[in-house]
Amino acid sequence: MSATAPVVRDESPVSESLRHVTVTSKKFPTVFTFMTVVLGLIMLLAPREGETKFRFAADTDFFAIPSVAVPAMPLAWVCLAILVVLTVLSWVLFLQERRTPWALGVLFGLAFLAGFLGWGGAGSVSDFPVVRLVSSSVLLAVPILFGALGGAIGERAGVINIAIEGQLLGSAFVAAVVGSITKNPWAGLLAALLAGALVALVLGIFTITYRVNQVIVGVVLNVLVLGLTTFLFTQVLVPNTSQLNQTVRFPAIRIPVLSEIPIIGPALFRQSIIVYLMYLAVPLVWFALYRTRWGLRLRAVGEHPLAADTVGIKVERVRYRAVLVAGAIVGFGGAYYTLVAVSQFNRNMTAGAGFIALAAVIFGKWDPVRAAMAALLFGFASALEGAMSVVGSPVPSQFMLMLPYVVTLFAVAGLVGRSRAPAASGVAYVKE
Amino acid sequence: MKTKMRLAAVGAAAVLTLAACATPPDENPPAADPTDSATETETSEPEAPAVEGFKPCIVSDAGGFDDKSFNQLSYEGLVKAANQLGVEWGEVQSNSETDFKNNLESLVATDCTLITSVGFALSAATVESALANPDLDYVLVDDAADNDFDGEKDAPNIKPLLYDTAQAAFLAGYLAAGYSETGKVGTFGGMPFPTVTIFMDGFKQGVEHFNEVKGAKVQVIGFEGGDQGSFTGGFEANQDARNVADGIIDQGVDVILPVGGPIYQSALDSITDSGRDVALIGVDADFFVTDPNTADFVLTSILKQMDVSVYDAVRGAAEGTFDPEAYIGTLENGGVGIAPLHNFEDKVDPELMAEVEQLKADIISGAVTVTSYLNQ
Repeated sequence: MSATAPVVRDESPVSESLRHVTVTSKKFPTVFTFMTVVLGLIMLLAPREGETKFRFAADTDFFAIPSVAVPAMPLAWVCLAILVVLTVLSWVLFLQERRTPWALGVLFGLAFLAGFLGWGGAGSVSDFPVVRLVSSSVLLAVPILFGALGGAIGERAGVINIAIEGQLLGSAFVAAVVGSITKNPWAGLLAALLAGALVALVLGIFTITYRVNQVIVGVVLNVLVLGLTTFLFTQVLVPNTSQLNQTVRFPAIRIPVLSEIPIIGPALFRQSIIVYLMYLAVPLVWFALYRTRWGLRLRAVGEHPLAADTVGIKVERVRYRAVLVAGAIVGFGGAYYTLVAVSQFNRNMTAGAGFIALAAVIFGKWDPVRAAMAALLFGFASALEGAMSVVGSPVPSQFMLMLPYVVTLFAVAGLVGRSRAPAASGVAYVKE
Repeated sequence: MKTKMRLAAVGAAAVLTLAACATPPDENPPAADPTDSATETETSEPEAPAVEGFKPCIVSDAGGFDDKSFNQLSYEGLVKAANQLGVEWGEVQSNSETDFKNNLESLVATDCTLITSVGFALSAATVESALANPDLDYVLVDDAADNDFDGEKDAPNIKPLLYDTAQAAFLAGYLAAGYSETGKVGTFGGMPFPTVTIFMDGFKQGVEHFNEVKGAKVQVIGFEGGDQGSFTGGFEANQDARNVADGIIDQGVDVILPVGGPIYQSALDSITDSGRDVALIGVDADFFVTDPNTADFVLTSILKQMDVSVYDAVRGAAEGTFDPEAYIGTLENGGVGIAPLHNFEDKVDPELMAEVEQLKADIISGAVTVTSYLNQ
């Protein structure tokens, strides 16, 4: 997929001037070409008639933007034309040995989306809910994003956290039980953080103190938590649903002013407290990792524990702290399931979100901000599936259900390029 | 040292995995589920004589016996029959696809004479087990046991229990269309499987029938026919299901039919959060009875009487008259139906209910035809 071509331009002896190396990648032009061809084929082979209605307003908007009906095929053709131009531009840049800027990629993505949506929603009686698409992208990403943040912290400290899924499921369970007993979502949230940290503690004890293979412990923890929560759900929660499995959920809070901004206001600023905490968590984790002494030590321990030890950093203690904090952060994601999304716990309700979070960590190159972006991308792909099916698009349901995973796969395999894990990630530190 | 640790970890992983996956069959478990109706019938009715050594057993799919849906209903039917017969029964729950074969084998090994497999997912494993044990009787809920699609079941000793729920969903669709004030009703499913889409399909046909009869224009959001529609991609009540339900309610529907295990819980929370008056239609069991939380929302439920048909099959086998002929539940034989309106009694026009009753009679007599994958 990625072809890098080192080009030696300067013929003069090495000793006199520095060798000039330009690295260009065919990645962008190739992907652009592929996607343009796909959209073109779809439009040629399955042309559609009618108009696509885009709805920009939420139900309760202060001043509502009217829905816009666009003739579907002309819109799609215009978008295709833009795609062709961008693709050509990208190839030209490649031939000139210049990089395709990210902005171009974003523009390409938006044009592709507009064309595809226009085509998909043609002639439908339902309108295409733009606000819903934005808000669902964020909401579907919440557990994945918290999971990815926790995963990134753990791996930065040198502990691979395969158990994100288990932490999510465990904290969702505990949040449901505590939230139901106390009828207080804050108590549920607190318990969820502790549950996430507890699973992390088990992970820590085995991997840091006893130096068992980190991947194996993680996998085992996932199976253990799934088995345990399913057992308790069946034996304890189901018979006592009203006392133990009926939470009071966090209400949606409107942020003044911000929530009145068209489109993004209702989508992003009329959410529950956990979503706002997520907005804060990303910059906070970034700051903690890159701008604090704690973060510096944590990264040192993940890259070169021996060096860190030599200068007096207690490797095991730093790792334990990192893993516990990471577990608690994942706990927010777990709490989201039973304190915001649904008011009941049910078996295996995380349905693999933790593994997607793991992919997001790698996709995001072990960086909290990029991992968050990766989680949002996955959320967006899932949201797109929901929105497309509501307008009755002709894309087979099975394909649309597959889409988020295809996107993740391509993103991890293709677009990320060379990503380097923290050097000591997955390696237990043995003090000599 | 390191290798030893690794070996220990592998060992631990294997043990845990096995422990989590293959639950050993319980020998005559104590009334496992307080919500089941089995216990109350324990002492009623005189004991019927069962064939010597008769032991009915049941294996669930990944939903488990507490799914408030087909596993639970089938389980209740079997337990009720076993209690009345005064015989022991065996049960085992599957947690994933990989369990099916092992679970069936373990039931065979514990001297079961009648094995009930719940769900089409178990079809292939059940056929395999049935062919290997021609002396045993098998009941397969929700599947025709025809994996080579030649129109014949693949093993002679399997009794498939099928339900033409499209007929009942048709009635629910008609009722929903008549009840709807916004002129929009919605549905979504877990996965595009035939046993799921049959509900959505019948529902849509019912709405279309209403439009035809009344000259109305009620729209169905979330199902296009075939297997095109809104699906959550799984049978878990989580944000994915919330998202789909939110999207459909967003379109202005005032009746919603979620098809697939617990995903209705997500729909319930969507309804609450939307702040609008949206009625819910249940599937499989009467939600009003099985889940009191739904009492204020549930318009009706599309019933699939698996407890009754499993019970009948078990009783038949116990008396030595196991009939491996496929059973198809219809409105006519009472295998499918719709639940009473309960709290919606005074919100629905009695005239509409009379029409629904008439429609039921018309479907039974064949005056109105409902198509589904079972009668094509």
